[in-house]
Amino acid sequence: MASRPSLKPKPKGKGARKGSPPADEEQSKAAATMQFVKEWTTWTMKKSKVAAHYGFIPLIIVLGMTTEPKPTLFQLLSPV
Amino acid sequence: MGAVVSHASAAAPPPPPPGYAPTFADAASSAPPPLTPPGTGKDAAAVAEEEEEEGEKVDYMNLPCPVPYEDLQREAMMALRIDTFEGFRFDFIKGITPFFSLCHSVSMVSMELPSQGADVIKVPTSNYEFGANYLHPKMVLMGRVSHDGRLSARTKWDPSENLCVKINAQLTSEPHYSQGMLHCDYKGKDFRTQLQLGNGAYYGGNYIQSVTKNLSLGTEFFWIGQHRKSGVGFAARYDTKKMVATGQIATTGVVSLSYVQKVSEKVSLASDFMYNPMAKDVTASFGYDYMLRQCRLRGKIDTNGVVSALLEEHMAPGVNFNLSAEVDHWKKDYKFGFGMSIGE
Repeated sequence: MASRPSLKPKPKGKGARKGSPPADEEQSKAAATMQFVKEWTTWTMKKSKVAAHYGFIPLIIVLGMTTEPKPTLFQLLSPV
Repeated sequence: MGAVVSHASAAAPPPPPPGYAPTFADAASSAPPPLTPPGTGKDAAAVAEEEEEEGEKVDYMNLPCPVPYEDLQREAMMALRIDTFEGFRFDFIKGITPFFSLCHSVSMVSMELPSQGADVIKVPTSNYEFGANYLHPKMVLMGRVSHDGRLSARTKWDPSENLCVKINAQLTSEPHYSQGMLHCDYKGKDFRTQLQLGNGAYYGGNYIQSVTKNLSLGTEFFWIGQHRKSGVGFAARYDTKKMVATGQIATTGVVSLSYVQKVSEKVSLASDFMYNPMAKDVTASFGYDYMLRQCRLRGKIDTNGVVSALLEEHMAPGVNFNLSAEVDHWKKDYKFGFGMSIGE
């Protein structure tokens, strides 16, 4: 009984030591993936913000000019 | 829009959230003033008619759909939130097809700068805005871009009859000053619900349900990650053909009550009470709204000592002339403006 507790930790200790490097690696892989996803979403948001900023009004104009009834360019540009 | 949370209290650091502030009014949750149920205290001629109405049993399974939560106080807002302007304003709206139109706006105003002292400092600024609108029954796109590159965009899309998706955004070239908000609305048989998602980690939602033919109750919540604020609010709206009374209260401490009496088709009178203990602000205002054939006149007076009025005159079909005036007696400040708007 007294010896058992002293024996048990050893395999645990060994097992734990063996277990932790793979766990650490997995954790760091997960962390790296999360980091990658975060950076990628930030990059996407920035690019889409710029695209929306420059492209929204042209999108409306293109949509208006191509749907029925289709106006002519003169109708778009004339002040009357 | 009438959300309960006052973002004014969260406003100081950039990005400034003006998109949130105008929509939120604070209301008191105490019940609207005791309203006599229809059929009591009326003279004999009307009693017969009301007995007939009461004879019809209220069908609680077929209640009408309530107004959207942000429009809870819309009658009061129309009369009391008058957008007075200063200076000169000219809008030209050119319709190209029934769905598509372009608009040009020029405004020359004196912007007020926040000043330390009691003086009011105004700086003349002028602004040109170009806008394009595409209004289709299923999808609405509205965009405005100003001469300094600021874009404000509104999109509304109905994927189905009961579902509606709206996106509002103000985009600028300066970093961290852009804002955006996404709303998803679902309209049920006698309820409406909405979820909101915004920048600065803003999450919100609201739900409103018709409880009786005239009464609807609603609730909302919001959570702002950036400023670490959250809140829950409750609202009630009682409307009949003659009057509308609403009340709102929130855990931010804001309380707002409003009452609108529709004196006739053309005239309505409104009053409003707002209490914000965080900003130590209590305001009551009274206003009127005359919707006449040729013009629309709105005026209001405030306990902050502000008297304002706005006149929109329809001079010819498609030609409107606007006059606006506001005098702030406490700050000894005044604003007068005139403008013209051509095109629908």
